[in-house]
Amino acid sequence: MGHRRRAAAVNNPSSQRVSGAPAEAVRVPSRKHNICMVSDFFYPNMGGVESHIYQLSQCLIEKGHKVVIATHAYGRRKGIRYLTNGLKVYYLPLQVMYNQSTATTCFHSLPLLRCVFVRERITVVHAHSSFSAMAHDALFHAKTIGLNTIFTDHSLFGFADVSSVLTNKLLTVSLCDTNHIVCVSYTSKENTVLRAALNPEIVSVIPNAVDPTDFTPDPSQRQDNRITIVVISRLVYRKGIDLLGGIIPELCLKHPDLHFLIGGEGPKRIVLEEVREKYQLHDRVRLLGALEHKDVCGVLVQGHIFLNTSLTEAFCMAIVEGASCGLQVVSTRVGGIPEVLPEDLITLCEPTVRSLCAGLETIIARHRSGSVPSPASIHACVQNLYTWRNVAERTEKVYDRVAGEEVLPLHRRLQRLRSHCGPVAGSIFAFVAVLNYLFLLLLQWLVPDRFMDKAVDATGPLGLWKQEQSSKHRALSKSATKKAAEPKISR
Amino acid sequence: MGEEAFTDISGKAISLNCQSHSSFCREFTVSSSKVSIGKVLVYTCSVWLLAYTVFFFTENTAVLSSAILITLVGMMLHIHFVKVDHESLLVIGSLGIQVSSSYASGRETTSFIEMSKIKDIVINEAIYMHQIIYYLSVLLKDASDPNAVSSVVPLFQSSKPRMNCLVKVYKSCQEILSKC
Amino acid sequence: MVLKVFFPQCCNRADSGLLVGRWIDGHDAAVVLTVIHYPFIPGQVKLYVQQMQAQSRVELSVLGSWSLPKEGQEGMESFLRDLSTIFPQERWLQISREIGKTGFHCQVLQRDQNGRAVQQEPKKKKKKEEEEDGEAEEEEEEEEDDEEKVIFVHYEQRKVMLSQLHPIQNGVPDPQADPPSELRQVFQTVAHSDPLFFMDKYDDGPLKSTHWQTEGREASIIVELLKHASVPVCLLVSWLLSVWTWICGMRIFSLYPLRFLSTKLSTCVQLSYRTEHMRTLSSPKAAAGHTEFMRKANILVSFLVDVALGMLLIWWLYRENHISMLANTLVPAADHVAKELDELLQWLMGAPAGLKMNRALDQVLGRFFLYHIHLWISYIHLMSPFIEGILWYGGLSACFGLTFALSLLSDMVALLTFHIYCFYVYGARLYCLKIYGLSSLWRLFRGKKWNVLRQRVDSCSYDLDQLFIGTLLFTILLFLLPTTALYYLVFTLLRLVVVLFQGVLHLSVDFINSFPLFAVCLRICRPYRLAEGVKFRVLSEEPGTALHLLMEINPLKGNTVVQTYRTPTYSCYPKDSWAALVKKLFVGELIYPWRHKTTKTD
Repeated sequence: MGHRRRAAAVNNPSSQRVSGAPAEAVRVPSRKHNICMVSDFFYPNMGGVESHIYQLSQCLIEKGHKVVIATHAYGRRKGIRYLTNGLKVYYLPLQVMYNQSTATTCFHSLPLLRCVFVRERITVVHAHSSFSAMAHDALFHAKTIGLNTIFTDHSLFGFADVSSVLTNKLLTVSLCDTNHIVCVSYTSKENTVLRAALNPEIVSVIPNAVDPTDFTPDPSQRQDNRITIVVISRLVYRKGIDLLGGIIPELCLKHPDLHFLIGGEGPKRIVLEEVREKYQLHDRVRLLGALEHKDVCGVLVQGHIFLNTSLTEAFCMAIVEGASCGLQVVSTRVGGIPEVLPEDLITLCEPTVRSLCAGLETIIARHRSGSVPSPASIHACVQNLYTWRNVAERTEKVYDRVAGEEVLPLHRRLQRLRSHCGPVAGSIFAFVAVLNYLFLLLLQWLVPDRFMDKAVDATGPLGLWKQEQSSKHRALSKSATKKAAEPKISR
Repeated sequence: MGEEAFTDISGKAISLNCQSHSSFCREFTVSSSKVSIGKVLVYTCSVWLLAYTVFFFTENTAVLSSAILITLVGMMLHIHFVKVDHESLLVIGSLGIQVSSSYASGRETTSFIEMSKIKDIVINEAIYMHQIIYYLSVLLKDASDPNAVSSVVPLFQSSKPRMNCLVKVYKSCQEILSKC
Repeated sequence: MVLKVFFPQCCNRADSGLLVGRWIDGHDAAVVLTVIHYPFIPGQVKLYVQQMQAQSRVELSVLGSWSLPKEGQEGMESFLRDLSTIFPQERWLQISREIGKTGFHCQVLQRDQNGRAVQQEPKKKKKKEEEEDGEAEEEEEEEEDDEEKVIFVHYEQRKVMLSQLHPIQNGVPDPQADPPSELRQVFQTVAHSDPLFFMDKYDDGPLKSTHWQTEGREASIIVELLKHASVPVCLLVSWLLSVWTWICGMRIFSLYPLRFLSTKLSTCVQLSYRTEHMRTLSSPKAAAGHTEFMRKANILVSFLVDVALGMLLIWWLYRENHISMLANTLVPAADHVAKELDELLQWLMGAPAGLKMNRALDQVLGRFFLYHIHLWISYIHLMSPFIEGILWYGGLSACFGLTFALSLLSDMVALLTFHIYCFYVYGARLYCLKIYGLSSLWRLFRGKKWNVLRQRVDSCSYDLDQLFIGTLLFTILLFLLPTTALYYLVFTLLRLVVVLFQGVLHLSVDFINSFPLFAVCLRICRPYRLAEGVKFRVLSEEPGTALHLLMEINPLKGNTVVQTYRTPTYSCYPKDSWAALVKKLFVGELIYPWRHKTTKTD
């Protein structure tokens, strides 16, 4: 998880190099890639996708690749910023439509994304999250420009309601000529393959990871005369907060020494507040509000049991963090959660109030009898399960594989679209692809590639960030001063 | 010193003239291309043709005279407020930096920044219209906190030279700034 | 470091002598103010400089020597060096100019520990000039090895002295704040040292000097006379004002209805503004700072222009009996408006624009408003014989200024359209009530309620009866809403037209009151008086001399002038945004052309 390092990045005045050295195009060694991560979701927004992109990029930079990130502008944060280790982020001024996701028109983002791809000499485009319209746009444009693409899916979808049908169709189209797809769990892979009608061979599973050093158990923080249940999650419908509202009074009635510690913020907070007021539980249910990431561990170690009530989840990082802090984990059996932890570390229940209560009861009983494993032993089990280095290595293999593949020329792309997406949608999107291509030609005529200044590399094989300290160039970025807005977490 | 030819971000030719008055006083002038007769003709003709078609249907001579007026006023406004002929940057060591731009009509706007207010000169990146460009800018000190930057004054705003030109000006400026 | 010498242009051709001026601390700069010519007695010069320092409170000192050798006056080097021992200084400038050359030469003498002047050899010789690109290079003292360079900045003394650098810093500078910047110090030095400029080389005194007054004295007899004449005028005006304020302060005016009316009538508001302005003007003290002076001047000029415009209006009004023409058109116009309104109401009572309204409510509302119009028309007809008189006397008020006439017009419009205002208030109240009722019943409908204690919406379980009654009321209100909304819409539109007209009047009154006419004239006629900053021009340099710059004054931009100097009035307060206005209209809150007291405070 990237929040700790993120905090460091905020304090560290990320400076922009101003160099005299013209960036001449030198052929990059075949093993090193110029990667552009595209997603609507990035800091200062908070969540699993954001930290995934950040941590993955940091590990790839460590391995010597050049990584830039493209996302949309967040409020006053627009333009180009640098994060720790020279990770360059383009906050492009694209209009946000709904839920921090930009509008998909297939065209309006092309000029800026093309500019990023050309000036950074990108070889691989890596898009994240199927909720992100910008990611789909980038996949489409990258194919028009002729770059290899990878897509990482972070979420599960249904097949029944209108919005998922539409999203699935869009996914089918945008993944139809994507070179490789990465999913975070096997359940997620199955889901994605079905939704986007993909060949399973080009779908890999690379789980998310947790920085185990951030989450170490500290039993001295616990209060032994009570049992504390910790919930850390965004307070939204998808996370099953209504279930939580049912569980709290039932268990609190039975066990007078039971306490709840709830971190996070969201529209469903009112449900919990009402429950608290109705049953007079102000001293036993504490709502902590939005937590910064550095405070999450401090909250986790105060508890004995970690409860996750999600209704749908592709890969639940929260339970890994909870287990890493030595807590007993109780979770709903949905999505990819059963794959995440070995069976002896987690208690799985059905997503109903009764089943969750029963699960919690057994854990509480076991806790009273003292037959739970010690926090240190749980931490030892978990700490090597998921590491970012491992994730980066596996992703690198995907990049190597993709880099060798050829990009389909336009006519074969059109054929593929038509054969893959059905006669109606396929034809429509083939037409859009042709328009997109014509638009690209127009842009190339207006601003030819040779008139674009190649960007000075901060990372990668020609990266100048490392020499930054010794170099005599005086460097400063106005962005550094404006990064005061400390991001908040609510998961 | 002689003129050097560069291009701006959209590929038009511009020229950079470095004049060294003394070892701590240099003047950089970026001149953009002049107003082309062809362009003026095209715009004028299109307005007049439009006016003539309107006149053809309405048979009102006021249309024609107003078209002439519009083109004249438009041209005046363009050369007075829009078209920048050249922009210059005068760096005087230990005194300050003077930024001036003169329009095609001869109007000149000048602003002088004292050395005590200047923190540094840097090349920065920005998103401009549908492009991402490099630009040269003067960072101004914050009065309360000497390490902070209170505002940024972009240089060569209308000619927008490319990186190689900026680097040349940047190095030259840094030479003077580091001396004083 | 580079040494900067600010040199007045008028001293370019002055005879040789001593340079008097000021060293600016921390910036390595010297401001030359004047040249005192040979011959002089050193003791007198010292005394003179001390006197001047006491008068002007500027740290004046003798900076160095200036030599413009004439024919047959060569070989003064040793004499010049001796001078530096007479006037002990940390640094001693020796500026010289050769005949036929435009550039200056400068040598800097540093004092060493013994207090003896150390000569720095000017390394620059004829043969070296090609390599050294026009700088005067000096050797520093032995321990400081880095070269010293000199920039000559020529300035026009008169303009710099008279100009005011923006943004203005008035009064005592903050001890915590940064010291003023270099240029500001230069400007202050020149502006404060005007006692120095009273004496010049044509005087019979013991000392002769050259500065900007030398080229021709500048003063105006008319201005001086006016200054003297203004004092009794001010006294008279302030006496009149005190009488006026005494009348205004009488008990009868602070009774409730009168006081309320006087805050709402724009004529009264305008009157209080003018009183305030006249009070500012009539204070017999001279303006202390630049801002206060500009404020007074702006008020005076805009007052004069206002009165002139008012006179013009009177001339037009009373010339060909325009007044009676106006009065004769006014009553039929009011009648016409009433008739139109009558027709509008009849239309609304039927099926307006094909909408099907609630017949009963529609009829009730329509009759109610019709009755009102009837009342109104009888009121107008009662008034009609007096209208001409009112207009005639009202028109006279224009002799106080155009703003008075406009304010009066605005008040008259408000009185004549009182019926529209009434309709609007009835409609808005009714509509507002319905909207509030609907919104709270809608919450009941969804099983929620507004928690006043916590300022949030809670869920709540209602009884069956409550739900039943609530839903019933909700339905009734919902179906009656279109009728009310239509009446509200129509009368709001009418009201908006009136408010718009009054708003335009208020804006124009405000514009006349606050526009800084004097500052704008100053900016046009004497651009250097209001300086935004300075600009430099490189004078064509000669190889072998120091760098010469010409400092010119960069005048303030037009919009900055208006922003800085406009007289604050009530329109300067932040207004409601458009979105807030639309929201108010939608919810049915009342809108006024004047501002609420509550909104003014927050």
